[in-house]
This record gives sequence, C-alpha cells and structure tokens, in this order.
Amino acid sequence: MTTKRLLLFSLLLFLVAACDREPSERPKAQDSTQKCGAAPLVIRLEGGDWGYPSPFAHYPRGPGGFKMALIFDSLLERDEKGLIPWLAEDYTIQENGLVYRFKIRKNVRWQDGKPLTPEDVAFSFKYADRHAATWSYIHESVQEVSADGDTVMVRLKEPLALMLDSLGRTRIIPKHIWEKVERPKEFTTPEATIGCGPYLLTEYSKEHGTYRFQANKDYWGPKPRIDSIEFVPVSEPILAYENGELDMIAVTPDLLPRFTADPANKIVRNPAFWGYRLLLNQKDLELLRDVRVRRALVYAINRSELVEKIERGAGVPGSLGILPPDHIMAVGDIRQYPFDPAAARTLLEEAGLHATGGEALRLLPSGEKVSMELLCSGQEVRMAELLRQWLAEVGIEITIRSVDGKTRDDRVRRQAYQLAIIGHGGWGGDAGYLVSHLVGDVFTQDASPSASGTAGLVNPELLGLLVQQNVEVDPEKRRQLIGEIQRKAAELVPEIPLYYTAGRTMYRPAKYDGWINMFDHHSLQHSKLSYLERTGPAAIRR
Amino acid sequence: MNGLEMTYPATRRSLPLWHMLSGSGKLALLILLLMAGVALAAPLLCRHSHRIASGPALAAPSLVHPMGTDELGVDLWAQIAYGARISLLVGAATALLAGVGGAAVGIVSGYQGGLADRLTMRLIDILLVLPDLPVMIVLAAFFGPSVTTIIVVLAAFSWTATARIIRSRVLILKERRYIKAAELYGAGTLYLLRRHFLPEIFPLAAVGMIRLAGRAIVAEAGLSFLGLGDPTSRSWGLIMHHALSFKGIYYTDFWKWWLVFPWLALTLVVTSLALLGRDLEKLADPRIGRS
Repeated sequence: MTTKRLLLFSLLLFLVAACDREPSERPKAQDSTQKCGAAPLVIRLEGGDWGYPSPFAHYPRGPGGFKMALIFDSLLERDEKGLIPWLAEDYTIQENGLVYRFKIRKNVRWQDGKPLTPEDVAFSFKYADRHAATWSYIHESVQEVSADGDTVMVRLKEPLALMLDSLGRTRIIPKHIWEKVERPKEFTTPEATIGCGPYLLTEYSKEHGTYRFQANKDYWGPKPRIDSIEFVPVSEPILAYENGELDMIAVTPDLLPRFTADPANKIVRNPAFWGYRLLLNQKDLELLRDVRVRRALVYAINRSELVEKIERGAGVPGSLGILPPDHIMAVGDIRQYPFDPAAARTLLEEAGLHATGGEALRLLPSGEKVSMELLCSGQEVRMAELLRQWLAEVGIEITIRSVDGKTRDDRVRRQAYQLAIIGHGGWGGDAGYLVSHLVGDVFTQDASPSASGTAGLVNPELLGLLVQQNVEVDPEKRRQLIGEIQRKAAELVPEIPLYYTAGRTMYRPAKYDGWINMFDHHSLQHSKLSYLERTGPAAIRR
Repeated sequence: MNGLEMTYPATRRSLPLWHMLSGSGKLALLILLLMAGVALAAPLLCRHSHRIASGPALAAPSLVHPMGTDELGVDLWAQIAYGARISLLVGAATALLAGVGGAAVGIVSGYQGGLADRLTMRLIDILLVLPDLPVMIVLAAFFGPSVTTIIVVLAAFSWTATARIIRSRVLILKERRYIKAAELYGAGTLYLLRRHFLPEIFPLAAVGMIRLAGRAIVAEAGLSFLGLGDPTSRSWGLIMHHALSFKGIYYTDFWKWWLVFPWLALTLVVTSLALLGRDLEKLADPRIGRS
C-alpha cells in the first residue's frame, strides 16, 4: 500500500514538473512575435547541443560551426557561386601564392561597440596559428602576419593553393577580449561570443540544446532579414513541422507524397556533398594492386541500386573522378563504369583469377579463394550486404566485419583493413582533398577520417599532378589540373566513391524564402547569406 | 504432509503430458512445435533467399512475398523463418547451458554443503544483484557481436535462479527418511543422484529452463534490436532494428509488414513459452498445483 502511495506521489510530482516547464517556454516565443507593430520574424529550427558557439568551443560538425559563424564574420564569405569579399573588401595574392594582402573594410564594429581594426585581423590570424580552432584552417602554417594601414599581410611557410579559402574562412575575433585568453577551448563566458557578425547570441542551454540568436541592429553589412533565430529541441521533427513548431526539416523520399501536394511547402534537393566511398587497401591486399581487379570491382558494384535501396533514391551514384557532379570543379569526360558484371568477370579472368569446375568462387593462382574482408560500421551493414551479394556474383567472397564507427575510423587511419566503407561530408569543399583521397599515405597523416586516403597507390604521373595543383594559385590553371587528376583517377580507380547523398529540405516560403545553398555545402540553414538581405557585398551574382 | 508430497507428483506424472496441460498450454505447445518445424524446414518452406534480394524494395505482402520485403528487397517470410533458427537456437542453447549448469551447481552445493555451498551462494547473491541487461550490453559490446557471445553471456547470467531452486530442493530431499535409510544401507552418491534426486529435480529444472528460454529469446532480440547482435545475421530483433533505423517508418505503410511480422513471431514464441512454463510449473510444484 505504501509503495503504491509513493508511486502515486512521485507520478504527481513528475506531472507538476512537466506542466511547470511547458508554459514557461511557450509564452516567451509568443511575446517576441507580438511585441511591436510589425511582428518580428522568428524562425525556429531543430535544436540539439552543438557546443558553445565560439570559434574554439563549438562541436566540430556542421550545425555547431555554422551557428558560431552567425556571430563571427570572416574575411571572405561564400555564396552560391564561390568566395565573395566580406570583411576584406579586396585581396591580392603575391609571390606565387606565398603572400596574401587583404584590404580590411572600414566602419565595422564589434557587438560590444568597439571598432574592428586591421590589428584585430592580424591578431586573429596569429591566434589561429597558435591555437587550433575547432575548425582550424591555418594552424601552424603562417610565417608572418602584419597590419599596415588598412591592409593585412599574411606570409605563409609555403605556398598552398587552398590557402585563400582557408584564410578567408578563419574567424576574426576581437583582440581586446581574446588577447588575455590562454585556453580558448575553456573560455565560455558571454564575452567569448562577441563577434562582428549579423547575429547576437541571447540564449544558450547546453542541457536543453536550445540556442537563440537576435539580429544585430548595428551590423556593418547587409541587413539581417530574420529578427530572431531559435533552435529548439524536438523529438519528432515531422510532427513539429506539421504543427508549425519548426520552420525547416529534412524529408526522406518516402515522406514526399505527404507534403508535395500542399503548395505551402517548398522542397529543395540538397547538393550531393556527403558521400560514402569504398577504400581499397593495396598495401594489405596484393591482389588490389592490379588495376584490372580494381576496375572489375567497380563494374561489379551497382552504384545506382545502392542509391535506390539505401537512400531510397535520394542520392547521386559515385563518380570515379572522386569529385561529386555538383562540385564546381567536377568534369564529365572521365572513364565511365556502368554496372556490368560480365565486364567484371572478363577483367578478373584477364587478371588470372579463374573459377574452375563450376565453382562459384574464383581462385588465386596459388589455389586460394579470392576472399576479402570488408570493414564497415553498424550503420553501413546494409550497404555491405549488398556489396557482398554483387561481388559474390562475380566470384569474389566478402566477409563483412562490422565494428563501431570510431573503431572503423581508427582502423582506416592505421590502414588496418582490406576493403572499408567510410562516409563523411566535405565533398563539396576545395578540390585539394583529392590529395588525401588518392594518395593519403604519401602525404602526412591527418586526424580526420575524411582525410584518410586509399593506401598503397603509387603513380608518379598522378603524384606530379597532385603536387602541381597544390601550389598552383592561378584559378584557371588549377581547374585544368584538377580536371586532369579526375580523369587519371577514373582510369586508376584508387578508391570507389559509392554514392553521394542528396537529401531534401522542406520549408514554408510564405513565412521565409531567403534560403540559399553555399557553392560547396549541403545545408540551407548553414549559409550565412540565408539570413541576410542580398544587397551590398551579398548581392546576388548573375 | 510428507506422504502427500511423495505421492502427488507420481500420480500426476503417470498421465501423458498432453492431457495434463491446460487449453492455453496445449495451444502454446502447438505454436512452439510449429515454430520449431518452420525453423527446421526453412529451406523447404521459403521460395526466396533470406540473404539476397528477390523482389522490389519494401513491397507489400503479396502472393510472391507473403510477408513483403525489406528495404533491400529481401523476402521477409524467408528472414523470419531463418530468424526462427537463431531465436530458438539462442533460447534452447542458453536454457540448456544455464539449466544444466545451474542444476549441477545446485545439487553440488545442496548435497555437499559446507564451504562450497557458502561460496556458491555468495557468488549467486552477487550475480543476482547485478542488473543483467546493462551488464549484458557491456559484455556484448566488449566481446563483439555474435550469436555465440550472446548465448554464453546470457547463460552466465541466468543459471543462478535454477541453482538456488535446485539447491533448496536438494536440501529438503537430503533430510528425507528414505534417503537417510538408503544412505545407511550404503547407497553411493551417484546411486542416490540417479535414483532419488534427479527424478525429483528434473521437473523443477525443466520449468526453469523453459523460463530461461523465453528470457534468452527476448534478451537476444533486445540486444540485436539495440544493434549489439551479429549485424549480418537475420534474427528477429535485427529485422526490427533495421526497420526502426529506417527514417520516418511510422509515416509510411512499411511498418505494417516490416515491423509487425517479426514482432508477431517474437511475441508468439515468448508468450507460448510463458504459458507452457506456467503449466509445467503447476505440475512440478505441488503447492501451486493445489491452489
């Protein structure tokens, strides 16, 4: 009896607590929409904790970094077509890419009212060189930085083609606040989120995963179009969108019929910049050093069906040129590999792997079975099962080894695998990532799994091209080099891009229709220009 | 009291098992036999492979695919028939391992007494205190996903209940006058075990094992469902895991077959085991039987 009473009591207590919490959040949202004459525009997006939005304390994934970017501007910004001048009005590249000169915009103020000076910019570069930001681009690569009049000069340790992008993305932080900070990752006072960007952080709760950003009235640049951006926690995004609690969600293909009929919804396909690739470890498996075997693997894998089955059609089959078709530097005239098991069998025969006596599996010249171990994480098991099925059809036995994601990443980094499936974003970024994809082991080892390369491929011609593009600062020449590298990659098959996901995003244009995609990124809500008027430096380019 | 206890099971046991079961018990036994039949005859009963896609992805149940297909286009009926093998294997193997092990420990501990008894009882206390599912999750994650791991881990945690019950039974039996008499006439331990203890203990152990089987099947499905099972197997829990990993499955029709059929199979087997276990318990434990 007492237990029952106790239970009842605790139940009541929970109910009271639950009721108490709910109204305290709701009226606040309504308040802000009814305050003055013209109702302020409040946009609500899916929340979750992505860290404190300072350049050093946010979590490394997209949603963390782009919240931070609402507060902190950088020298260059990105629109639909490429880099645009932002805090830097203009820039010049000198001495074959060794020296960069940025002309810093005047009349820019920090959110605490103090003016932004070229000295702040120089300080930011020096600080970023010393302390790696969560998204670190120039850590330990700058030789010298100096501010002179309205110009900031950066001298690099060595020329690097993607350095304009890297310097352009580096967040500019106020010297008067950060010069005292020695441990930036632990600096999470309100001062740490004073930037010069279009939005101010007015609320952050790590426990609830909520953020609130208010438009910066004194912003130097294009006027913020949304008065307040709220990131709220939701358990069922689809229901929340239907109830008007969220203004933007991702939709899977099977849910499209539910929403397409209603003209109030606008559905856009995201650029395919998040992809899966199959790594072939030529160091570990001698068999894979034969280009015919690698090509046979491509022919045997039905990349279109992977998209159909695993992503329900919301994706783009992998291109053997590595760069996804949506990438600004992708070329079309590369060697194509349609799904063709017969071609795969012929190539395997040519490579000396024969199936004897009606056996399903092929044998090595030594008499052993052609068998490979496929490493994947729990999320990719279904994909691995399909690969096993297709490769079995051409006589290759696949053993699936499923481990948790971190173990997989670690083994890929240590190159302790034969075949491995790995998925990550960043496929829209600067084409310089081709280096790590094609010859990751020749260059320095990077900590990020997306920078893990296929092990063992050594092709002097390809290496030469990769080294050339790495230092080529002329955009047109570099574009040609990158095109050549893609053609070469499609011939050599150092790795097999399986597919790039292209999800769909839905929003109500009647409420807000300023969403755009940056040229190299897959998410509408991650673009700074999505929240700004398209005037001045942000004007739409034809 | 003594007389009752000695004669009661004997009279009941003389009837065939079938007639001693209640209606629900009979139904449960039939369902279990049917499932075992499906598991054994899976290759004969399924037209399609349980591993390779045989139709369009996510097809609704039809004549060709009686239970529809999953997102890869693999026939669900085949997966469920083959999945029955894993579930029943895990259930039976765990029950056997834990049941036989638990019974052996119980007998030794009860009959021997002394230090061995005290040590095992404290060990059992410790194991009983440990919350088994969280520990199983940790162990399954540590040893890596495989059916064998699950069986061993489950058995390692579930022998305790059987051991305690058997021990208490042995303690009672040990003091009976006919046992004492047999001992006085020079009966050896093995003779006593075979002749007097085992026949008394077997029904109890059987009930324990049936219960264990039910728990083991649910635990395996649970671990697979959490993604800790063998990811390439086709167990029922794993089918449900894949179905629920499908984004927005409840906003589509797919759950109606992809989720419901494995759930149904699992519920049927576990409920049947519970019902059968209840009936057998009544037969084995005279106190419940009389009330």
